[in-house]
Amino acid sequence: MNKKDIKLMFFLAYKNIIKSKSTFIVIVAVMAMSFLSITFFSAIIDGLSYEFEESMIDGQTGHLMIEPSNEESFIFNSDRLEKNISKIPGVIGVSSRLESNILITYKNEELGAPVFFIDPIDEQKVSNFHESLIEGSFLSYKDTSEIIIGSDLLEQYAPIDDTKKRFNLRIGDNIILTFNNGYKKEYKIKGIFKTGSKFNDDKILINKEEYFSIFNKEDISHKILVKLPSRGLEKEYIQKIEALGIIEQINPWETKIGMIKQFVGSLQITNQITGFIGLLTAFATIYIIIFINVTNKRKQIGILKAIGIKKKIILGSYIIQSFIYGFVGVIFGNIIMQILLALLASYPLSMPIGDVVPLLTIGKLLTTSFILILASIVAGFFPSRKASNDNILDAIFGG
Amino acid sequence: MIKNIIEVNKLERIYSNGIVKTYALKDVSLSIKPGEFVAIMGPSGSGKSTLLHQLGLLDTPTNGSIIIDNEDVSKLTDKQKTTFRLEKLGYVFQSYNLLPELNVIENVFLTSMAKGLDPKEYNLRAKDILEKVGLKDRLYYYPSELSGGQQQRVSIARALVNKPKILFADEPTANLDSDSSQDIIDLFKKLNKEINQTIVMVTHELEEGKKADRIIWIKDGILDKSVKV
Repeated sequence: MNKKDIKLMFFLAYKNIIKSKSTFIVIVAVMAMSFLSITFFSAIIDGLSYEFEESMIDGQTGHLMIEPSNEESFIFNSDRLEKNISKIPGVIGVSSRLESNILITYKNEELGAPVFFIDPIDEQKVSNFHESLIEGSFLSYKDTSEIIIGSDLLEQYAPIDDTKKRFNLRIGDNIILTFNNGYKKEYKIKGIFKTGSKFNDDKILINKEEYFSIFNKEDISHKILVKLPSRGLEKEYIQKIEALGIIEQINPWETKIGMIKQFVGSLQITNQITGFIGLLTAFATIYIIIFINVTNKRKQIGILKAIGIKKKIILGSYIIQSFIYGFVGVIFGNIIMQILLALLASYPLSMPIGDVVPLLTIGKLLTTSFILILASIVAGFFPSRKASNDNILDAIFGG
Repeated sequence: MIKNIIEVNKLERIYSNGIVKTYALKDVSLSIKPGEFVAIMGPSGSGKSTLLHQLGLLDTPTNGSIIIDNEDVSKLTDKQKTTFRLEKLGYVFQSYNLLPELNVIENVFLTSMAKGLDPKEYNLRAKDILEKVGLKDRLYYYPSELSGGQQQRVSIARALVNKPKILFADEPTANLDSDSSQDIIDLFKKLNKEINQTIVMVTHELEEGKKADRIIWIKDGILDKSVKV
């Protein structure tokens, strides 16, 4: 293969594409749509998985969760530990929690619910409850007779046809909480939150000082949540926290999301299967379209051979055309996808779990682009090789 | 004594369909001299086009030998045949067979480009030959924008641009009206006289055949007679 052969290959490919604009547009559109069909669904699943995980990080686990050592039920000297961790450079927030179950009584109705005893100021640095208020306001450090309640416990926010027992409570209403040591106290509803996650919205938030007062304890916690600048830094910060010499368990969020992890894992497997099927479908579609296109050029291929154009030049020119179809199609697919992603970042998809923004990783984008371009090259290669191997007379006269 | 440019010896082309064998050409031997204008004639299905395809290396004979320009082309590989066609042969087909995505000048200079000529030279050659066939004002037209006669002229220009040793024409006037047919045959005659171009043309029109130097008659795949006009 020399320079003149390559030049001729590109010349023939260029002229074929320029003169067959409608074919070019159709193939590029199919490529672009195939790219979108594979990446868009996958991006939604990834965005959904990400949103599930984020809801757990924001509501339940933080990036790191420090828990009592195996022999203990509490973290002791919790305040000092929190202060020490918060001094580590880069740590965004540290907050401790105590957890319990309570019985809610309102008028003649009773309902059990989980409760988080929180530090109202520190909590805002590690979770998103304060950002998820839909009514009222968040707890202040002085609020010892007020609570914040999750929307999933309230009738007015219940999904249609959901028959789960709930209260008809409004801001300012009073409820009686019975704690598991038998202590009862009346609290006023100060705020209602809705994060969109079922795992968070069934909770009640109470000032941590109440726990100390009710259970006659101090400076303890069940969990200390640590918020980091982003995901992926967990290992690095675990080492830094361990260096403080603590005996408690330090767990990254992935190890604490249990059922969500299984669910996300199942979603990802579904995503991989549908992605694979999508790729096969796209491959078949592209193959058929390019195959028909090249087969329609069988006569031209025969003429080229008859007038003395080498087989490898003819084959090369069709492979170049197929590459251009694939490349331009994938570029258009990428452009449309980026526009869709930008639009959906501004106007996220509203799903029961909350707002979901499709998530497309560079890895997936490159893999899909590569596979589709490869598919178009393969789709161009086999029919053009067959046509260029055909008997000249059969190719020209249709034998 | 002038050496023959084409020497065909005991040429056979057999089409097999299972156990049934059909002789398209049988024991054909002939020779053509350089600068000769030869017409191959015969009834429909007589094998005249088949003979032309063998001589033009577009098909491979079952038996026999073909020597063109002192080279036994029946022994060439497919790749060598392609190069031979590019370097030494030119074709004019009945249905023109121009490439629809190339304009007139591109159709013509394509083979020169394939030979590795520089753009200036192949453009010059193409313009020159297109002027000779009377199409210098149609250089950038596409085949679909030309009449049948004009397309056939482009096809002739394409066949001649590399100055082939032999020009093969397979019923070049079959799709043309009588005026255009006359023009094409006259053009062949002119090329034959002026540049001593060897031309082997298949035709079923006796009047066209009479314009050649010699008519080779084929009947049932067998060489019937060779008659000087």
